[in-house]
Amino acid sequence: MSTAAFKFGPGDFEQVATERRTQTLSRPSVSYWQDAWRRLKDNRRALISLWIVIALALFTLAGPLLWRVDPAAQDLDQVSQPPGLPQVAVIVEPYVPWAGIMATPVPGTAETLAAATPEGLRLVEPATTQAVRLAWDPVPGASGYRLYRNIFDPEPDGAVGLPVAEILDPGQVSFEDRLDLEPARYWYSVFARDEFGAEAGDYATVTVDATRVVSAAEAETLGWIGAAAAVALGDEIVLPYHPLGTDYLGRDMLSRLMYGARVSLFIGVVAPLLFVVVGIVYGSAAGFIGGRVDQLLMRFADFVVALPFLLFMILFKIAFGIGPGESGIFPMLVALVLLAWPATARLVRGQVLQIREEGYIGASQLLGAKTTYLVLRHMIPNTMGVILVTLTFAVPTVIFTEAFLSFIGMGVAPPTPSWGSMSNEGLRTMLTHPHELIFPAIFISVTVLAFNLLGDGLRDALDVRMRGRE
Amino acid sequence: MAQNPTTGIPEGSPSGTRGDPARALAADSTTTVPARDPLSRVAIRQIALLAIASTVGFVLLMAGLSWATNLTSSSTATLDAIDVETGTVTLSLTQEPPQLDSTRLTDSVSGRILGHVMEGLLRYDVNNQLAPGVAERWDIRADGATFWLREEARWSDGEPVTAHDFVFAWQTALDPATASQYAFIFYVLKNGEAINTGELPRESLGVTAVSDRVLEVEFEQPVAYFDKLVAFQTYYPIREDFYLSREGRYAADADDMLYNGPFEITVWVHGAHVRLEKNPDYWDRDGISLNVIDFPYITADGNAVLNLYRDGQIAEVNGLGAESLDQVLAERWPVGRYSDGSVWFFQLNHRSDHPTGNYNLRKALQLVNDPGELVYKVIKIPSNTPGESIFPTWLKGEKGLFRQEYPAPTVTPNVTLAREHLEQAKRELGVDEIPPLVLLADDTPGASKQAEYYQNSLMQKLGLEIRIDKQIFKQRLAKVEAGEFDVALYGWGPAFDDPLTFADLFASWNPNNHGEYANAELDAQVRIAQQSTDQATRMAAFGRIQEILFEDVAIIPNYERGQMYIQDPRIRGVARRAVGADPDYTRAYIVTD
Repeated sequence: MSTAAFKFGPGDFEQVATERRTQTLSRPSVSYWQDAWRRLKDNRRALISLWIVIALALFTLAGPLLWRVDPAAQDLDQVSQPPGLPQVAVIVEPYVPWAGIMATPVPGTAETLAAATPEGLRLVEPATTQAVRLAWDPVPGASGYRLYRNIFDPEPDGAVGLPVAEILDPGQVSFEDRLDLEPARYWYSVFARDEFGAEAGDYATVTVDATRVVSAAEAETLGWIGAAAAVALGDEIVLPYHPLGTDYLGRDMLSRLMYGARVSLFIGVVAPLLFVVVGIVYGSAAGFIGGRVDQLLMRFADFVVALPFLLFMILFKIAFGIGPGESGIFPMLVALVLLAWPATARLVRGQVLQIREEGYIGASQLLGAKTTYLVLRHMIPNTMGVILVTLTFAVPTVIFTEAFLSFIGMGVAPPTPSWGSMSNEGLRTMLTHPHELIFPAIFISVTVLAFNLLGDGLRDALDVRMRGRE
Repeated sequence: MAQNPTTGIPEGSPSGTRGDPARALAADSTTTVPARDPLSRVAIRQIALLAIASTVGFVLLMAGLSWATNLTSSSTATLDAIDVETGTVTLSLTQEPPQLDSTRLTDSVSGRILGHVMEGLLRYDVNNQLAPGVAERWDIRADGATFWLREEARWSDGEPVTAHDFVFAWQTALDPATASQYAFIFYVLKNGEAINTGELPRESLGVTAVSDRVLEVEFEQPVAYFDKLVAFQTYYPIREDFYLSREGRYAADADDMLYNGPFEITVWVHGAHVRLEKNPDYWDRDGISLNVIDFPYITADGNAVLNLYRDGQIAEVNGLGAESLDQVLAERWPVGRYSDGSVWFFQLNHRSDHPTGNYNLRKALQLVNDPGELVYKVIKIPSNTPGESIFPTWLKGEKGLFRQEYPAPTVTPNVTLAREHLEQAKRELGVDEIPPLVLLADDTPGASKQAEYYQNSLMQKLGLEIRIDKQIFKQRLAKVEAGEFDVALYGWGPAFDDPLTFADLFASWNPNNHGEYANAELDAQVRIAQQSTDQATRMAAFGRIQEILFEDVAIIPNYERGQMYIQDPRIRGVARRAVGADPDYTRAYIVTD
């Protein structure tokens, strides 16, 4: 019988009634990622950490656009300034060398010298941060003079402070101090020397209050004022403001922290991204192929774990021909990527091995899914949680590694700042100028803590088994 | 299907037997408690209790640990830097002595140790005056010198110190195989230079042991300062049979040395500990008061050393850094200062393949250099003075001080003129930009600070890019010697108390002329200063050398170094000096009041 002979007409069909819904969704459908985000938002610690991370990114990327201070510029008039208010300076004449005051030495005996106290110790002109000029009357029989300076009152125990000058010429009864003068109070003490160079008799002390000054020409060279002609002698000008103070060469701490964050965050983000990708590819290949290949790949991973990082970092530095005074950031990146991937690889391999055995994979295969489809649709999305968590935990580790390497001098080259190198420099002045160490240390700690807490929150949020437990 | 992953799995898949990190990770996360619950009163009480308990526990633990430390350490370590009963003084070193072989030694730390354990023909006393050492008396003539050695001088194995030991040491130092940096200091001896260049055998040196106790020296030319020379460490004696018995390991360890000085090394743990004990065979043993000088700390960390001093673990701190000064003032410790005699300068590389070989570039560097700013605002140590010349201010001249008789030419910083010279240099070198200059510096905090100051200052004033090459002391020395630098932060301490010790540094034949500076006129002036016995002629030659070095910008002086120190007031008789072992504790004594 031929089917072509039979003809259907519209009357042969009848409309099927619309099927009645047996099930309805009362709430909007929530995807895995939406759910994770919702639970992350509920975790206050993680959320605050997220904001801190965003703030840090803004600090380092947008910060230098707002705070346009060169992190390498040295302001030798404001060295190791703690955070504080802007400083002002009075415009004075440029510094002119001083010939000093000479007097005829007065003869005297050893006895009179031993009982003598230098008289008439006085300031020759108002003390400034440019120079402090002192003079005194000649002491009979002195073979010279020794001057001390203190930032504390020498009384009552005669702690006269630093020996700032040794005058061997008995005719010279004046002294000009230019050493690291700050707008502060100083106590200058003068001793007469006997013929053997020992201090004879008592000392005289004068108290000096130095004021901060700058010459118009200097201020112009330093870029503090537009033109030297615009200011007159005696004018007060405001010095460049350093909100977080300055370091041991008068460089702006805020600006250095911003630029230092660049190095830290760059390597902290790029290195984990790279080695996590390497780890994913390597681990999923090992887990997916399995068998002897898996064994071989994982033993190689074990071998890489055993390689010492610091040694390789040094080797790479030499192999890449990184010369003296050049940044060691690139070899650091390479060493991190080449040596840090096995952890991720192991994690991903374990995950893939587990997923491979799941029923839905078998079902998918029975329906004719190809390998690529299996990997892209089932394997990677299901390992994504683990990968993200690894990534967020890797970031603080790497930031810390960078800080450590820069701290020991293997990282950035001066004048490029990094939080690690700044901590190293601040360590020297830890007791006298703690802010130079505290600020970079706080930044390192807060960043590492924020990334850790964020990773913690992500782990909770991305874990399916956590769902519905709140 | 070959690609089907399930077919590739062998029996007994490893997934079930292995620890699964992801699973472990998920398992412990289930214990996390949401942080939203407000703290209940019970919780607060619990936290408070825990806090108190942990504080108390911590305090108890610390007390226990400190008690345990005392138990173990009281037997081995002295608790005080000065032990009056045993006559022990405890000090620290900034670094491990790199070289204790007197023929090869160049650095000050080794010089300090060797100055305590060895003695030359002459030595410096507490007042920095020359005093008899192994030689009882001596006679210096125009053509030579004679030294009569004392009978009681002994090596630490009891054998007498003889004239042969000096002959052997001096010949060894000049032997080309030794490659001593200080060989040139023997060039004043007859045939000295010819032996060092390999033209004559070492036996032809103009020094002979007439008998065990008489040493006869022949000069190449009159030497006005030979008594000062023989106090220098390269002139120390070495005993031949002992030296040869060590087969190249001489001075490598405490056992590989023989001592003829007031002390001997009894412990030398490399990098950690050096201990000197009184040498019972020393001829003037009654003049030595201390029994032990112990260096159980080797560190360059200024803060660590200062803390050791505050805790009474060491008796002195030498070379206080600028950052420690405020702290020292706050502690109200008495501070001392002295000049260590050294001059610090830019060692410039004059080789033609380095940009610094160009005169105009060097001139530009000279014109922007401001030693005053460096000393007063960067280094900030009161005992330093701005450098103006290779000849430091303390050197004696014909009558008074050399620098008063021959003032150093001074430079007024002039950025505009410097830039003109820089442009000229670029034209001569045929480049648009001067390639980055390598600034070689020590890795100490002080040197790093100076290097960073120059890096910024030269960038700002001249637009020159500077790459800082920070190296540890030994490596920096090796790099300077190999000429791997453009500019090096370099210091030179005097070997003997005469301007010549600085003047011949840039003679073309001097192995310490690391920048390979060569100038025929300077060489001629050095020859005059070496050969003349007339002080006026010699000083005029030094004056001319000072001018040549300035005009040709052979070097750029930075500063003359002084040291700030604090020292336990119970110790007296410590010599601190520009020439010789420094600080010298050989004649130090402890006052007990």
